[in-house]
Amino acid sequence: MKRMKKNRRKRNEVLTAYGFLLPNLVGLTVFVFFPMIYAFYVSLHDWNALSPKVFIGFDNYVEMASDKRWWASVGRTFLFTLIYVPALYCLSLFFAVILNNLKQKYQSIARTMFLLPFAITSVISAVIWMFLYDPRNGVLNQLLSSLGFDKLEFLGSTNQALVSIVVVILWINIGYNMIIFMASIKEIPKDYYEAAKIDGASAWRAFRSITFPLLRGTSTFILIVTMIASFTVFDQIMVMTSGGPASSTEVSVLYIYKQAFEFLNMGYASALAVILFLIIFILSLAQLRLYTKKG
Amino acid sequence: MKSWKSVMTVFFVFVLAFIGGCSGSSGESDSSGDPEVVTLNFWDFQYDIHQELFQELVDEYNSIQDDVKIEYASFGNSTDYSNTKLPVAFANKEGPDIFMTSAGDFKKYADAGVMADLSPYFPEGVLKDFLPSTIDAVTYKEKILALPFEMELLGLYYNKQMLEDKNVKVPETWDELLDAARKLSTDKVAGLVLPTDIGPYLNFIWYPFQLQQGGSILNEDGTKSAFNSPENVKALDYWGTFFQEGLAPSKLQYGAGDIDNIATGSAAMQISGTWAIATLDDKFKDFEAGLVPIPIPDNGKHASVAGGWKLAVNSNSEHVEEAADFIMWAFAEDTSRPLKWAKAKSAYPARKSVIEEGQEYYKTGLRKIFTEEIYDSATPEPQYSAEVVNAIGEGLQSVMFGDMSGEEAAETVHEKIQSVLDSK
Repeated sequence: MKRMKKNRRKRNEVLTAYGFLLPNLVGLTVFVFFPMIYAFYVSLHDWNALSPKVFIGFDNYVEMASDKRWWASVGRTFLFTLIYVPALYCLSLFFAVILNNLKQKYQSIARTMFLLPFAITSVISAVIWMFLYDPRNGVLNQLLSSLGFDKLEFLGSTNQALVSIVVVILWINIGYNMIIFMASIKEIPKDYYEAAKIDGASAWRAFRSITFPLLRGTSTFILIVTMIASFTVFDQIMVMTSGGPASSTEVSVLYIYKQAFEFLNMGYASALAVILFLIIFILSLAQLRLYTKKG
Repeated sequence: MKSWKSVMTVFFVFVLAFIGGCSGSSGESDSSGDPEVVTLNFWDFQYDIHQELFQELVDEYNSIQDDVKIEYASFGNSTDYSNTKLPVAFANKEGPDIFMTSAGDFKKYADAGVMADLSPYFPEGVLKDFLPSTIDAVTYKEKILALPFEMELLGLYYNKQMLEDKNVKVPETWDELLDAARKLSTDKVAGLVLPTDIGPYLNFIWYPFQLQQGGSILNEDGTKSAFNSPENVKALDYWGTFFQEGLAPSKLQYGAGDIDNIATGSAAMQISGTWAIATLDDKFKDFEAGLVPIPIPDNGKHASVAGGWKLAVNSNSEHVEEAADFIMWAFAEDTSRPLKWAKAKSAYPARKSVIEEGQEYYKTGLRKIFTEEIYDSATPEPQYSAEVVNAIGEGLQSVMFGDMSGEEAAETVHEKIQSVLDSK
């Protein structure tokens, strides 16, 4: 009797749980899983969006192997990730530690300031930076020349454009990641630091042996999320350079967009998207493995 | 187990309901009450000031007859309209019955067969009234797939004051243009504004430099690339010089075709089109702009490319005839409607009788220069597939940003175009 009651209660709990999850699951299925499977289906076709699809098997994937422009864009995406992810990680951790040592009053002012860029629509912040970056009349070059440096071309130069874009995206995202770090730093018990102090540890030593190791979970989260974000970077680049000058900022997603909407090669673009998804998926999995194993 | 099953059932019902709700209804089940009325969707790209005019046109048509109701939707950003709105709608089989397309995209839609043949719908004799080149530009496999309703011409605009201050002669040749750009270029002011971003507009502005010397992209029957010609090399190198010497900005704050570039004082000269006159009249009344045909090389001849949007009818529409009737009513019958439109945009109508009727208008202000000095040298904007347009754009950029000489770029583009042609 008692057991049955328990069973029923458990079943009710499960039902309730799924009931609450249902709206989300439906949303995910309709807007994420279904399109993903459909994209794979489309990738097996030659389809220009306007006329009916023609089944061509894996031809799109074969074509991709020799598409130099695609692999160049993948390389550029990796380069972007290699600059952006470590920079974002180090800077947001750095500012989190610094801010954490400020007095409460200054801390909240500084925190708000760092977070403000995150509250601006990405397209708008891209446009703001385009004005700052203007080679002739932009503020940055006026500053540089008043300090006696040469003017830079920024977004108008094949060498500087990618880095200039990284700076903008860092400016947007540092505040947000910094706040996540600050929250986890606050959770580290004060006793550890006090004990370290008694043992005569320097601030650097305390950071290396206490703060940094205890942030492992947060670090894993931030590194994986940032990496995925950097592989799918699109909007700011689309607005600021649309891949130019001379393809120097054409990352994978931008190339996929061009194949899909400018050249109307929907099938081929879907095949590229599937491969990009696999790349991100494998990298995230590897990263997750790496961090959980060590822990 | 049982509970799991019921959860799954509910789940799938939800999903189906959702998908059903998203796909919506198309056209026919319109709740306009009267089953006789045909509802047609009409989409275009227009700047705000021009949207009103089209809206009036649609309202007028809706009010003078009871059989067809046109629903007009306009998008203010040409890239969004051409690259996202239209293809996505067509992909979902919900393309509008009537839509506007540009020379840069024409081939894409023609190849896909989504434009209906309009030849049977032109009122008698009107076809002869259209300038032959404008009809050639919309003819594909001997069918007329769109109605050209405007022509946009290009010229060199300049800031009169700046040229006077520096004692610079208004340029007429390539050498003079380069020289003027060098003299006018300062820390704050760019010598000449040219487009920088890849896309049909970049090519559109470059084509005159190529055409002035008789260069071409493809051979006569359009089967082989002719891009590696000395004329193209010369046009590429000349174009590149402005960027390598820093006379043309490598990045623009305003749209590459917006006259704001020179009207706000951030540049001295700019190649732009007829549409700029409307902006100058509207926004920059005090600005003194000069205008000349695009300078030519030694032994070259004037050449301008005539752009302009065209109206097409979706061949999958269930009401092709009604849709065609509307665009014919708007632009192929009476002369007053096309003239009103052309004036609003300061474009040129594609019909001789309309130009004649607007004679006086086309002889005032800067329009006089377009009418008398540029109009005759215009050829319609060439139509290539998106891949070819992109290959040319990449070639231009590699010269502009110093990766390649004109010769190397011409050869690279030549190979790319050939491989695109071979793969079709």
